[in-house]
Amino acid sequence: MIERPPHPRLSPPPRHAPLLAIKNLVTAFHTPAGRIPAVDGVSLSIERGRTLGIVGESGCGKSVTAMSVLRLVASPGRIEAGEILFSSGGTTLDLATLPEPAMRSVRGGRIGMIFQEPMTSLNPVFTVGDQIAEAVLLHRRVSREAARARALEMLQLVRLADPRQRLDEYPHQLSGGMRQRVMIAMALACDPELVIADEPTTALDVTIQAQILELLSELRARLGTAIVLITHDLGVVAETCDDVAVMYAGRVVEQAPAAELFARPRHPYTIGLLAARPSPGMKHSGPLCTIPGMVPLPQHFPAGCRFHPRCAYARLPGAESGSGRVVPLPAGELPCNAAVPPLHEVAPGHWVRCFHAESLGPPRSAQEIAAGGLFS
Amino acid sequence: MTAPLVEVEQLQTYFPIRRGLLRRVVGNVQAVDGVSFSIARGKTLGLVGESGCGKTTVGRSILRLVEPTGGRVAFDGLAVRDLRGRDLRNLRRRMQVVFQDPYGSLNPRMTVRALIEEGLIIHGLGSARERVDRVVRAMERTGLSRQALERYPHEFSGGQRQRIAIARALVLEPDFLVLDEPISALDLSIQAQVVNLLIELREQLGLTYLFISHDLSVVEHVSDEVAVMYLGRIVERATAAALYAQPLHPYTLALFSAVPTVDPARRRRRIVLVGDVPSPSNPPRGCRFHPRCPLAESVCREVDPPMVSLPEHAVHCHVAARELARSGGNASVAAATIAALLADRATPPTATLSPG
Ligand SMILES: Nc1ncnc2c1ncn2[C@@H]1O[C@H](COP(=O)(O)OP(=O)(O)OP(=O)(O)O)[C@@H](O)[C@H]1O
Ligand SMILES: Nc1ncnc2c1ncn2[C@@H]1O[C@H](COP(=O)(O)OP(=O)(O)OP(=O)(O)O)[C@@H](O)[C@H]1O
Ligand code: SF4
Ligand code: SF4
Ligand SMILES: [Mg+2]
Ligand SMILES: [Mg+2]
Repeated sequence: MIERPPHPRLSPPPRHAPLLAIKNLVTAFHTPAGRIPAVDGVSLSIERGRTLGIVGESGCGKSVTAMSVLRLVASPGRIEAGEILFSSGGTTLDLATLPEPAMRSVRGGRIGMIFQEPMTSLNPVFTVGDQIAEAVLLHRRVSREAARARALEMLQLVRLADPRQRLDEYPHQLSGGMRQRVMIAMALACDPELVIADEPTTALDVTIQAQILELLSELRARLGTAIVLITHDLGVVAETCDDVAVMYAGRVVEQAPAAELFARPRHPYTIGLLAARPSPGMKHSGPLCTIPGMVPLPQHFPAGCRFHPRCAYARLPGAESGSGRVVPLPAGELPCNAAVPPLHEVAPGHWVRCFHAESLGPPRSAQEIAAGGLFS
Repeated sequence: MTAPLVEVEQLQTYFPIRRGLLRRVVGNVQAVDGVSFSIARGKTLGLVGESGCGKTTVGRSILRLVEPTGGRVAFDGLAVRDLRGRDLRNLRRRMQVVFQDPYGSLNPRMTVRALIEEGLIIHGLGSARERVDRVVRAMERTGLSRQALERYPHEFSGGQRQRIAIARALVLEPDFLVLDEPISALDLSIQAQVVNLLIELREQLGLTYLFISHDLSVVEHVSDEVAVMYLGRIVERATAAALYAQPLHPYTLALFSAVPTVDPARRRRRIVLVGDVPSPSNPPRGCRFHPRCPLAESVCREVDPPMVSLPEHAVHCHVAARELARSGGNASVAAATIAALLADRATPPTATLSPG
């Protein structure tokens, strides 16, 4: 088919302090059943004006990471360690420790947010116009009229049909896609430098999802807002993000520019995920590649590299690898279950948390790896 | 050609909309409105389309979990609607369903053994001993260990629960399975395991599938034929190879192009449709897709497009019909023309920042 033109992307701004840098974030829930380390040493960064996709399977800690940045982690959860450095307006704030009153002006102001289910974030008893105006009044010293005018301007910006009429409607009168447009309008109303969008299109149909992703890309290009897009859909990331962080079991296991990550994945988990997707030629070439085993719960995170029970490349003392194939352990080398592999740079801007990323042979595409049958 | 195992002709399932104190019927949700297809024994028909287009209702109508309001469903040559009593029960044994939600569809208070055995008891099949043997065999087929017999669903992961649901269907030795989004609720790294299992079982047991999913790549991988639904109707149906290589219906093209993919070889120029899916209680007249179709012409607003059939491909669209006629029935030429027309017309409107 015809090549799809790339989404409007900003050329990367010069590399100075990233807009947001999360360093070794630990957020845990203290339940009667014990401590649940939902986010356990997450490090990632996002540059000004860029879109960072955070992908990973259910329960890997994506939402808890986002909620930590916004300091909205539900009790009994709390941030236990790490820094969340937000560099805005010439100063750097550590959101992990910022006092709540100051945090209130950041949240919804310099950092906007969009969630999966707009119905739970929109107040059902206020009109769409009042809600956006209220968000503006909370952060800007403007008159009620100016706030309302801003609300209308925002509804036009997100291309809601009949914006003037919609101002006076209630959320339940809108379709799912329309509500998500309202959420985007509200998130952008105070000119944020960063928008955190947690599964903004997961509840929508694909043709509506396409509209919303198109809108987000376009607004980002025009307004220069950086976006953190959380999703479990690798395709969404591949088509809309500049950079990608892949999470597994409470940690970032790989971060790289999107094109690099999808062309040359280096972490065995990323490789496995990409290879497990059917592609057009694969129908008659046997079963899909699979990752053995299942996603661990935070209560049962394995020691060392958390992927080791499922990893085809794991080097372990005994026959512990989930694939049944154990790469023998050379003398003097640490087994994968003995220590946490560090997140280290294997190519410019390409970070991997795996002891053996360099020794897995030349970087190849997941499809080539699949064809070679390294995962089965 | 083997005779089809499942034949659906002009299937119609409307749900009444009731209002007021007297619950008077004020209209109908036209969930399924004139759907026809057939599935040959051992084959898989994939059914795709957006939320609410009627996929689940098609599956449920075939199984008679809802009563269709019109049309004909035949299973292995028997008219499903006329079956009563024992024949209906027997039919229900031969047609099974696996739902999307491996959490909701299993009774949490029943052990795995009781869950899988339940169907055998309902259908009065086998002695107590034979039943256990059959339960264990079904579990082995789906990769569940014997140790799971006396455990409860909450002790299992999503992928394992879906295996329990599949074992529950298989134990009755059915011929036909309706798989309604069987992998959507599963973790990404687990989906491929279940897809492989379903294909393996089909091959081993000669099963026939109606495979409902919104994951177009998985549908292509699993299906022999694929049908695309929009607002209660099938708009296009073809062999998987023909549909994915040469989609002819503007909606199919838009749907395919809207699905984000990591695979550059699969990426298509995105056609962004304007507007929302209309309500099935008041579908547009003429072609149901016309309010959102970038190629709509005046005839589309008035006349329901008839089906145009090629050997491996059928489509309901005025423009596709014209392009097929023009190209002498050459689907790839017609498909290329329609794709080019859409690329021309479907550029998304650019917004203006200035407030009104
Ligand atoms: N309030 C809570 N109490 C206890 N555990 C929690 C709480 N909220 C989240 N968790 C746990 O933290 C882990 C991470 O959850 P999180 O919501 O971040 O996952 P996610 O990656 O966003 O997944 P999904 O894709 O399903 O949204 C999960 O295992 C979850 O069970
Ligand atoms: N029992 C029912 N009573 C009334 N309306 C119903 C009933 N079941 C389904 N509908 C309506 O029929 C239409 C088709 O629903 P159906 O569940 O078949 O869609 P679907 O294609 O399976 O959607 P999804 O992808 O969301 O599962 C929808 O508008 C739905 O609201
Ligand atoms: S550190 Fe070892 S177990 Fe972990 S991903 Fe790398 S090779 Fe696999
Ligand atoms: S019949 Fe007309 S409106 Fe319907 S899909 Fe074809 S061109 Fe579009
Ligand atoms: Mg989440
Ligand atoms: Mg359904």
